Amino acid sequence: MKTLGLIVSIIAGAFLMYGTIDMPDWGDPNSPASIHVSPRYITNAATETATPNIVTAVLADYRGYDTLGETVVIFTAGMACILLLRRRKDVRKARR
Amino acid sequence: MDFIIAKYNYWIYIILMMIGFYAMISKSNLIKKIIGMNIFQTAIILFFVSIAYKKGGATLPILTHADAHGEHAIQVAGYLNPLPHVLMLTAIVVSIATLGVALAIAIMMYRKYHTLEEDEILKAIK
Amino acid sequence: MIIEQAPALIVVIALMSAVATPLVGWLRKDLCYFWVILALLASTLCSVIVLNTVMHEGVIHYRMGGWLPPWGIEYVIDHLNAMMLVLITGTSLLVAIYSKKSVETELPDRTVYFYTLFLLQVTGFLGIVITGDLFNLFVFLEIASLSGYALIATGEEGAPFAAFRYLILGTVGACFYLLGVGYLYMVTGSLNMADLAEILPGLYGSKVVLVAFAFFMVGIALKMALFPLHMWLPDAYTKAPSAASALIAPLMTKVAVYIMLRIMFTVFRPYFSIDLLPVTKILLYAGIIAIFAGAVMALAQRDFKRMLCYVVIAEVGYMVGGVGVANAVAIKGAILHIMNDVVMTLGLFAVAGILNYKMKNHEIGAFDNIFKKMPYTMAAFLVVALSVIGVPPTCGFFSKWYLIQGSVMAGNWTFVVALLFSSLVNIILFFRIIETGYYDFGASGSGHAHEEGTAVSEAPLSMLIPTFFVAAAIILIGLYNQFIIINIINFAVPKL
Repeated sequence: MKTLGLIVSIIAGAFLMYGTIDMPDWGDPNSPASIHVSPRYITNAATETATPNIVTAVLADYRGYDTLGETVVIFTAGMACILLLRRRKDVRKARR
Repeated sequence: MDFIIAKYNYWIYIILMMIGFYAMISKSNLIKKIIGMNIFQTAIILFFVSIAYKKGGATLPILTHADAHGEHAIQVAGYLNPLPHVLMLTAIVVSIATLGVALAIAIMMYRKYHTLEEDEILKAIK
Repeated sequence: MIIEQAPALIVVIALMSAVATPLVGWLRKDLCYFWVILALLASTLCSVIVLNTVMHEGVIHYRMGGWLPPWGIEYVIDHLNAMMLVLITGTSLLVAIYSKKSVETELPDRTVYFYTLFLLQVTGFLGIVITGDLFNLFVFLEIASLSGYALIATGEEGAPFAAFRYLILGTVGACFYLLGVGYLYMVTGSLNMADLAEILPGLYGSKVVLVAFAFFMVGIALKMALFPLHMWLPDAYTKAPSAASALIAPLMTKVAVYIMLRIMFTVFRPYFSIDLLPVTKILLYAGIIAIFAGAVMALAQRDFKRMLCYVVIAEVGYMVGGVGVANAVAIKGAILHIMNDVVMTLGLFAVAGILNYKMKNHEIGAFDNIFKKMPYTMAAFLVVALSVIGVPPTCGFFSKWYLIQGSVMAGNWTFVVALLFSSLVNIILFFRIIETGYYDFGASGSGHAHEEGTAVSEAPLSMLIPTFFVAAAIILIGLYNQFIIINIINFAVPKL
């Protein structure tokens, strides 16, 4: 089992590294990620959202729906912990 | 050689990811699997955040006082890319939520079988 | 106004009522059941409205917050989406009605939180199928997965370990998906599916795009339980509580098949998935192996629910193989099979839940004489079994027919052989149950069976009516399948 896991990890890692050949260089200001969608966030955040912190503007305004989903994820985890871990009343009384 | 130096950050993160992935699937202690899961997800988060970097003096994506009041046109290359940071804030939260549920299930199993080793639990179930 | 906002309402109603369920439970515990049914009824109504709008007016674009894509998040609802939405809300409504007695018996003091996670699970599925943004899909995929892990862990002996293994493998799948999104973002800068579909054709030669596609496929295959990445499914669905497995089993794997269809045909054009890379050949072989493996392993099972899990694995093989054949008829059959499989798996797991509720046991050996004790339940089971085998006029026959027709047209005789082999094996599996259930083996099992014999009676009405509804739906979908294909599925098939 351990050798199988090691082989799978090495193959996955090698495949990922093979993909880095065509990637844009680290820190390139002309990479596609820096040119396509995000310039509008930087240039228009002050006028459209009146927030100087651009990350907050994107998180709460442009992509606020993702933040709602994230809040629901925390709520799900909380409910899951209550469902799984709360001791039943008879067990609680027996422990006292 | 040139492309290794230009992209060494990606290689480091991939090695970190694979360390976490190996721990997740090969270790037999439940807590070690959970730690491996956390390493894997953290490495993915670091990988994404490294996409946001811009060389040449770019600063954090928080507008300075002058830019925020529209005194002159904003230089896009002077600010880092905000989108990966946003995505990763959500991904960090998701990773913590998964960690919480995984630990809750591990506690459930510990209460019942008093061990955290996979093989012993499998024996106890059968 | 409701018609305009219906796309958002579908998800928002399920989400807000999930958040409000603990409050309702704090007021009075018994109200939770009715609250869940009310919320799912409202969501089902909205999804039917959306389906109606899509059928009459075409694709709906709903922008969250009014921001244009790709700067904001957008819902894109076409025929495939709308069909999945109706399926998900309808299935969850039926399971909610069905769940009352079984949840009260299996989890007597935790019903409030069970129903909360139930609604959150449905929210997750709805959010996955309705969105047009890759990262939004990841967030809702995690909502659905987390609630699934928790629901499964509350089951019988050995359920926490099954849920833990599912958690590890499911998280690997979701992380691979996130890696794929990251690689695509790095070379395109966009997260919106329609925007990526325009940018990517210039980048098809790039190694980054190839690696991204491969990681998407492996991550989705883990969520879809495609053989050999299916290890988590049998334990998880067998040991889960009956209502949880009746909700998760029909939906989770089919939603993952939907994600695969979206990535292969909407984000990456069909030209990439079929001609440029031999993806469809790999999917075809994977589907054939899954069908054979699922059928053979199902024969070896002594436990009814575990046998059904292997039937599910084989059904995933049908859909993946149908996509792998890669002509319009076979993909039509695969999409019709998504609809049929949701209904059939729901019927099978609903019957398993009823039997578990009555007998406290889901081994085939305990099913002596159930046809006499529970005639109505077993009548519904017969209809579902005929559909899984593929007997007209049930719906299962028509999807198999399209799949066989498509693979004959493409010359893939191996797939035809696999489909026919699977039908034969299903005949053996279900006839074994019918044989055990019909004849009274009381002579060998003696006193035990006879004492139970007078006590076990018909299933409670709240569990029986949804099962009948499912059996009726199977026959109706079969009879009206031409209508469904002409009006919905023909538009959902990608232009090859």
